[in-house]
Amino acid sequence: MFALAEKGMKQIEKIIPMRHTDIRELFKFERTPLNLLIAFITFIFLILFVVGFINYLRFGHHAYGVYREHPWGLMIAMYIFFVVSSTGLCIMSAIGHVFEVKVLEPFSKRAIHGALVTLISGFIVILLEVGHPFRMMLYNTISPGLTSAIWGMGVLYSLYLIFIAVEFFFLLRHDHKWAKRFGIFGLVVGIAAHSNLGAVFGFLVGRPVANGIYYPLYFILTAMVTGCYLIFLMYGFKYKLDFPENIQKTLIATAKILGLLLAILLFFEIWKALTSIYGGMYDRSATAIHILKSSSFWIGEIFLGILVPFIIILFSSARAIKPLVFASFTGMIGIFYMRYDLVNDTQLFPMQTLKITEYQLPPSFIHYTPSMTEIFIALGAIGIAITLYYIGDKLLYLENDPENV
Amino acid sequence: MRYGMALDYKNCINCRACEVACKEENGVELGARKHRIWVGVKEVEGEWPNINIASSTFEPSQCQQCENAPCQEVCPTQATHYAPGGIVMVDASKCILCTYCMVACPYDARYVNDRTETVDKCTFCSDTRLARGETTTACQATCPTKVRTFGDLDDPESEISQLLNVRDHFTLKAHLGTKPKLFYLI
Repeated sequence: MFALAEKGMKQIEKIIPMRHTDIRELFKFERTPLNLLIAFITFIFLILFVVGFINYLRFGHHAYGVYREHPWGLMIAMYIFFVVSSTGLCIMSAIGHVFEVKVLEPFSKRAIHGALVTLISGFIVILLEVGHPFRMMLYNTISPGLTSAIWGMGVLYSLYLIFIAVEFFFLLRHDHKWAKRFGIFGLVVGIAAHSNLGAVFGFLVGRPVANGIYYPLYFILTAMVTGCYLIFLMYGFKYKLDFPENIQKTLIATAKILGLLLAILLFFEIWKALTSIYGGMYDRSATAIHILKSSSFWIGEIFLGILVPFIIILFSSARAIKPLVFASFTGMIGIFYMRYDLVNDTQLFPMQTLKITEYQLPPSFIHYTPSMTEIFIALGAIGIAITLYYIGDKLLYLENDPENV
Repeated sequence: MRYGMALDYKNCINCRACEVACKEENGVELGARKHRIWVGVKEVEGEWPNINIASSTFEPSQCQQCENAPCQEVCPTQATHYAPGGIVMVDASKCILCTYCMVACPYDARYVNDRTETVDKCTFCSDTRLARGETTTACQATCPTKVRTFGDLDDPESEISQLLNVRDHFTLKAHLGTKPKLFYLI
């Protein structure tokens, strides 16, 4: 099997330069405690994914904690989490190699690799959420619902996948002319796809807390924030916090951009809360107050997701890049809370305000708890993303420095 | 032709015969209580002894058969569509179970049918009773206090048109612009 794989790898090597063609190299890595810990966690996550997947095959949506009043749950949140990461990395990559901002060029290849990996992970999650994925591929094509944001998002993300895959191919071949061309397409389609994902929520006329222009814009903004966090994590891990000079400059520039983005995001959050509460339109304001009373908003979204990295950037003038690697980890936890809360908050307010059984209390805010199957698949998808990233990192040249060319 | 339903909801006695008849007629699976059609109960207002008896009402409800249906608009495969008579229907062979319609419906009127594994809804019995040539829905036919009147809103001579001409009425969440075709008579 290894010999056959190696033969295939050698064929690939004729098209794109590779670091290794022997896939046994994948099992060879420096046995540091951190590496071993990450390998162990990833392995556990992959096992959890298999368990969750089998459970889903056996019980379908009944294996999930979603129900009629709360049909979207953790799976949708994870899908958004991944595709947000993908779009963010694509945008950050494009700043360097499409718009030729030299200081950000070093991570362009690695970021596009990350964008591909997270997009594939997102697609895996959504395939396990949509009840009939094969029917979806067929009827999205032959019976398109053109007014549906989900249809637009599906089409645009499929195109986006193709564009960034081709862009990555040319980047690996150091064909910057074509990489740039496909990079532009990928960027435009990726942003369109991602704001369309925001519109999936923004178009919900019956749910005032989500309805409007906010989410399509917020999604782009938070995508860029996520892209910055992931760049810090990828480089923090790659260089074990001992950054060479050119990467230091790149990360300081990234931190400055991140600082600006977080300031704008804080602005977004404040005005979203105030405009939702102001005027007291009951279903919107009551939902907003309910959100503001939740710890996941304050601790998850605001403290971990925004304030921790923002304060570090603010007080170090964006120079504390080592602490920012750790802050990016809390930032990604915060970003997860943003996705989860977004999905949950949209469905918080009951659509039926009268009680429908005799002895129940009048309907209040809708509660949702993810099932173990959902949690297993969500963690498993993170495991898949880490594995795919590791494979790419091990086999391909992801740096732009001359020694790799 | 534009089918609608008028509900003289203050006559409702919450016997839920409509729920039973609907389940029987449309093959709603066991356990799917209050999914396709239901009766909302409004709490009595006030405290003893000053209780406002008139405030206690029952509000029978189901899919509002909107003329501008959010569930139809958001469907990515056109599985949810307008059938003749303006009835919002689901083509089970096209439904991908993304459940976007369930999130989009402001009336919580969509549910997952575990038998067809698609998102289902009230169809005004169009594929059961109306298809057999009947002119009433199951919920209407069984109602002991004649709460429901089903018919063609475009026919000025129909019972429902006549009723809506002489009785004041309202629709649910009218401000959303969904133009429901379930009319609650005052």
